[in-house]
Amino acid sequence: MHTSDTALRTEGLSKRFGDIVALDHLDLEVTRGEVVGYLGPNGAGKTTTIRLLLGLSRPTEGRAEIFGLDCQRQPVETHRRLAFVAGDANLWPSLTGAETLALLSRVHGQVDEAYRDALIERFDLDPTKKVRAYSKGNHQKVILIAALMVRPDLLVLDEPTSGLDPLMEQAFRHCVHEAKDRGQTVFLSSHIMSEVEALCDRVGILRDGRLVEMGTLAEMRHLSALTVEARFARTVPDLSVVPGVSAVEANGSMVRCQVRGSIEPLVKVLASAGVTELLSREPSLEELFLAQYGADCRAG
Amino acid sequence: MRADRGIRARITAPVRAGGSPASVVAALSARKAVRSGVLWGYIFGVAIASSEITYGRLYKTAAQRDALAATYGTSKAMSALFGPAPQLQTVSGFTVFKISMTLMILGAAWGLLTSTRLLRGEEDSGRWDLLLCGQTTRQRATAQVIAGLGVGLVTLWAVTAIITVLSGRPSSVGIGVGPSLYFSVGMVATAAMFLAVGAVTSQLAATRRLAATLAAEFLGVSYGVRLIADAGMGLHGLIWVSPLGWVEELRPLTSPQPLALLPIVAFTAVLAVVAVRLAGARDAGASILAGRDRGDAHLRLLYGPSGLAIRLLRATVIGWWVAIGLSAFLYGLIAKSTGATISGSVKEVFSKLGATGSGADAVFGVCFLIEAILIGFVAAGQVTAARSEESESMLENFVVRPVSRSAWLGGRLVVALVALVLSGVAAGVVGWLGAASQHTGMSFTSLLGAGVNLVPPAVVILGIGVLTFGTRPRATSIVVYAVLGWSLLIVIVGGFGTVGHWVLDTSVFHHMASAPGVPPNWEANGIMIGIGLAAALIGGLAFRRRDLQGA
Repeated sequence: MHTSDTALRTEGLSKRFGDIVALDHLDLEVTRGEVVGYLGPNGAGKTTTIRLLLGLSRPTEGRAEIFGLDCQRQPVETHRRLAFVAGDANLWPSLTGAETLALLSRVHGQVDEAYRDALIERFDLDPTKKVRAYSKGNHQKVILIAALMVRPDLLVLDEPTSGLDPLMEQAFRHCVHEAKDRGQTVFLSSHIMSEVEALCDRVGILRDGRLVEMGTLAEMRHLSALTVEARFARTVPDLSVVPGVSAVEANGSMVRCQVRGSIEPLVKVLASAGVTELLSREPSLEELFLAQYGADCRAG
Repeated sequence: MRADRGIRARITAPVRAGGSPASVVAALSARKAVRSGVLWGYIFGVAIASSEITYGRLYKTAAQRDALAATYGTSKAMSALFGPAPQLQTVSGFTVFKISMTLMILGAAWGLLTSTRLLRGEEDSGRWDLLLCGQTTRQRATAQVIAGLGVGLVTLWAVTAIITVLSGRPSSVGIGVGPSLYFSVGMVATAAMFLAVGAVTSQLAATRRLAATLAAEFLGVSYGVRLIADAGMGLHGLIWVSPLGWVEELRPLTSPQPLALLPIVAFTAVLAVVAVRLAGARDAGASILAGRDRGDAHLRLLYGPSGLAIRLLRATVIGWWVAIGLSAFLYGLIAKSTGATISGSVKEVFSKLGATGSGADAVFGVCFLIEAILIGFVAAGQVTAARSEESESMLENFVVRPVSRSAWLGGRLVVALVALVLSGVAAGVVGWLGAASQHTGMSFTSLLGAGVNLVPPAVVILGIGVLTFGTRPRATSIVVYAVLGWSLLIVIVGGFGTVGHWVLDTSVFHHMASAPGVPPNWEANGIMIGIGLAAALIGGLAFRRRDLQGA
């Protein structure tokens, strides 16, 4: 059911290529103003999802809506409200950067010229150069600026920082924060976990064409254990018998372990054993991601 | 971590990969060139064989053969179009006259398209950079591609030669192995030269399309020079200025002149060396004729997809217009003098080609068949350009914005149709200028009508192209050029009366009246335009419903 707060919604969205299931009954909802990360290894179905949302491919089953508009039946109306950045897009080699931006803004039908100029400055782009003379990074800057300058309601980003140096990656993050502050919605597919962790309100993890996790980072912590390191003044206690504790590694007066579920039983044991230093760390998004896919490796 | 350890356990010391680094690029290129060499060799061989075999059936008596020789052998018009026609009393002379010019042009087209595809095309796609990262240099890699193209050329010759030798064996044909092999050399000689021409233009031009266009323009000029040399205007010495003229001077099967191989071999070798040198003198991805890497913004045409298409394709289309205008002007220059030489039997052949008139009108009627073929190439180029935009992912830049697929394709179609109509108008107007300069007395409206009459077959080719683009996009280029090549082959072979009517009907050019030799058949033209537009409409509907597809 579409509500006025829904920016993007899919329902049973599926795509097959012959016998290969690229996307399997994807149900996804993104609220207006959200920044949502979309993760998965190569071939998981991320780009297929985006191509279906953009109407570049036809679904085998299911449907997708953007701001209540059917992505397949109303592509022009849908595209009026979004902008797309691909990591591997091609531009016309004989046009200059300025000509490319002018063409794409005319095609979109709107542009914030002051913001475009600010973006050109922020990304340190020379718009007088022809596209064929641009490096991979500068090529990507043109594509990013072309999407951001129209100030769309929805930004669909597929590996948007491909080829950008760390400074430009920071500039990109700044732009996404600005977009969020203005109430724009961002759907970000990326392999750069730190980028997703820094930018996204929610994260979806795709595996073999299926959405296996969707939630905020806090909600997803259960996917991986908390890492705890403790130093003792006296003998190191046997922590392997404590409920929820695993992967215990002792090294002199130091012990490292992982805890799933409640940390209370471990804290009680540590306190009684005379702990002198205690360090605990939540799993990073990368660890969460690897934990999700590590299950397959272990099973294999 | 465990998985990582598993991978490490499987890692062993690197072993030598199959093939030598010194020849891997050549092998890769050869594999691609050999495939098309086999296909085109088969087409060449079958065309030669059909000509050899049908001669005896068509011209059974000595009197018929003498009559054939007496008329064709003295006709300047036929000589200008198809080259000289000696020894038409023999199957050898007939075969050379009937088929050689067609195969020379097809061979040149194969050469320039294959060469620019495997050199500049690979560079455009970025695959060239991957190859250059191996144990090679820009010069060596280019030399290897040229060697691979050489293997493709040998394949083209071998397949042509095998069929030609076999078809020459029956006593009714009676052409020996040696002459057959030499004839086959002659028929692939333009392919060799235009492989080299394409190799050079691939270094000069920044894109494959421009490289192919430059090479095609050189082919057009070569044909025009040869046409003047053979038109009986006292300028036969010009034959040694045109690569097509050198091949003609080989005189296979009639009075062989192997010395003419010298300029062919020298031209090919020099251009191959020049191509390798130029490859070493420029950066990978750059071009000798490259424009500046910076420029002021020119936004006049950049209002949308159609405007961009006009901007990107205008150089190519203008190149075709120059070729069309130049050749039409030449026809205008020769129409009066050659028209005066037309005798009864030539009239009959002209009639089979559709031009039932006489004099300059009839000459124009037949010559404009070549203009129709050139306009057919314009149509094919427009469709393949649209497909390239999709396969190179540039189309996505439009259709992820508020541009519908229908609007994009419709815009391209309108641009293509305008280009075709203007091509026809250019042929008529410039042809009239040439004719008027010789006081031929032909009316402007008659030649303008004849020019417009050239457009409908191209619309059919365009429509078939769009239909393929919509339904089987990856086959677009193959289908559209196959239709064009087939139509060309059938209509020229059919001009000599050796093909059944149902086969002739499969050529789009067969349905075009040979105006101004005869009045344009507007009803047939209307049907052709209807078929073309209907095919384009179906293709457009299919395009709306399919996934976008890469290369």
